[in-house]
Amino acid sequence: MDETQGAFLELRKVTKKFGNFTAVDEVDLVIAEGEFFTLVGPSGSGKTTMIRLLVGMDQPTGGDINLKGVRLNDVPANKRPTCMVFQDLALFPHKSVGENIEFPLKISGVAPDKRRQRAEQLLKQLRLPVDYYSKGVNQCSGGERQRIALARALAFDPDILFFDEPLSALDFRLRKTLEKELKDIHRETGKTFVYITHSLEEAMVMSDRIGIMRDGKIVQIGTPAAIYNDPINRFVAQFMGEVNTLEVESAGKNTVQDIASGARFKVRAMPDGFTKGALIIRPESVKIGQSAAKLPNRVKGTVYNDYALGSRVQYQVRSETGDMQWLVERLQDEPFDGKAGDKVTLGWQTEDSILVGD
Amino acid sequence: MATAKAKSRVARNLIVLWTVCVLAFLYIPMVAIVLASFSKARYFRFPVPRWTTQWYDKAMDSLSIRDLLWTSLSVATLVTVFSVALAFMGALAFARYDWKGRKLYQRLVLLPIFFPQAVLGLALLLWFSALGITTSWHTAVFAHMVWIVPIVILIMSIQVYSFDPSLEEAAYDLGASRFQVLREVTLPILAPGVISGGIFAFLLSWGNFPLSLFSTGADQTVPEWLYSKMVMGYTPMVPTLGSLTMSGAAILIFLFYMVWMIIKSRQSRA
Repeated sequence: MDETQGAFLELRKVTKKFGNFTAVDEVDLVIAEGEFFTLVGPSGSGKTTMIRLLVGMDQPTGGDINLKGVRLNDVPANKRPTCMVFQDLALFPHKSVGENIEFPLKISGVAPDKRRQRAEQLLKQLRLPVDYYSKGVNQCSGGERQRIALARALAFDPDILFFDEPLSALDFRLRKTLEKELKDIHRETGKTFVYITHSLEEAMVMSDRIGIMRDGKIVQIGTPAAIYNDPINRFVAQFMGEVNTLEVESAGKNTVQDIASGARFKVRAMPDGFTKGALIIRPESVKIGQSAAKLPNRVKGTVYNDYALGSRVQYQVRSETGDMQWLVERLQDEPFDGKAGDKVTLGWQTEDSILVGD
Repeated sequence: MATAKAKSRVARNLIVLWTVCVLAFLYIPMVAIVLASFSKARYFRFPVPRWTTQWYDKAMDSLSIRDLLWTSLSVATLVTVFSVALAFMGALAFARYDWKGRKLYQRLVLLPIFFPQAVLGLALLLWFSALGITTSWHTAVFAHMVWIVPIVILIMSIQVYSFDPSLEEAAYDLGASRFQVLREVTLPILAPGVISGGIFAFLLSWGNFPLSLFSTGADQTVPEWLYSKMVMGYTPMVPTLGSLTMSGAAILIFLFYMVWMIIKSRQSRA
């Protein structure tokens, strides 16, 4: 019973097979009301199939989908109290901005003046000018279209709003702005948001909880911090972007040995039965130069290049044995004025050693 | 520099001249028909010796010509209505949905277009008599459709191909029923294709001769009458009725153009 406490959307052994191919494989998941939950996975991981099952575009071949205790499996998409913001937004090109937003209200038979009132209210809420009401959707910019799609979904007043990577086609800066805006809208509406993306970075900005999907299964669920600090395996760790990865094997209590160089490093805790795996150290955890001298884990190397990343500087350091490239990051104002060719020591704290099994 | 400029001017003039020649070649015969219909002479001579509108007055008064126009109009209208309805579904099957056998369907459904119309007409006539159906303008509607529906499917499919199926899914997801999706999203977006398909259906039926010849039985359409009068018993009513059918088609195309512009400006209003 404990598990279903606060369950809003509940999946039990949800499975979707296409012939012999299992796209979604016995997924159990509980999402709480008002939560911002994000599914992260590479293409082909089953996240798109999953969201299509949840909105009702496809029917699961097994398991149950319950919303507020009601089984949704056989309820068609147009009868479900959920709706989705599509990857390509699916704005109706023959309707104006206002008509697009009003669409779900028109369908449910709301009077024209009431519809307009609500549409204008939503335009304001989404920081769009009210006179956009009669503008053609094809005249709007990418970011504006994004907001119109969200306004249309909100006009439907769904219990859960699904998002199918709607930001993936936008440029970096706009995406960053809209990620935050989406989180603000989530806060303002208090609705349950379920988002899918292939970018853990995007998920971390917005989500209360993140689920990582692989081959139709959710391999790890947790808060952004939990996923970032404790990836359960190498697959999850790969989503963290640029990291230093060493192939290691167990070498005694809380110690691992780098297979390539034979160097030994301390780790926080070793999972039971760990023999081989990957040691992951994030670039920002690695200290360089003087500040590395007293750290428990150290490596010697030569600076190969440096890259300015705005507030931070990244170095590429090649280890003395020549078999490892290290990425090191420091803040712009931290003292180290190394340059290409300098011999340096790298070091990191034991708690920054992230050990994952295969 | 100067010679290059002069050269490009010569080239430009040649292109203009060529275009004018092509247009003249295309339109002089039609203009000649119109001129002939206003000529007092019983046979067409150029320049026109004396002008008159008497053939038009006669055409308007003639019951047989009214009958001809009425038959042609009835056939073309029914062909348009049925073709648009059938071809709309046919085009969705052609371009919108993925189903087993679609490739084969795409090929088979277009074959009648490339079939010689006279042969198609003859084949249909044989079928009608084998089935014991008396041919009349009703059977002509069917005969026209055999050839016209595939063409309209092709025309509508172009529009359907550019249709984004996620629009239908989005409308459905936002609570619309299948019928509401069709009325609110699919039809309005495909409307330009449906309208141009309808125009094609009408004009192709309106001007069709070979299929009508075999399938109208005792009834006669305008093109059939024009042909039979050319073969024997030419009267100046031939160019007159020819001009009338031509201007009917021209007016229809013009109206279509207006509708098209209205739809376009509505879709891209600023």
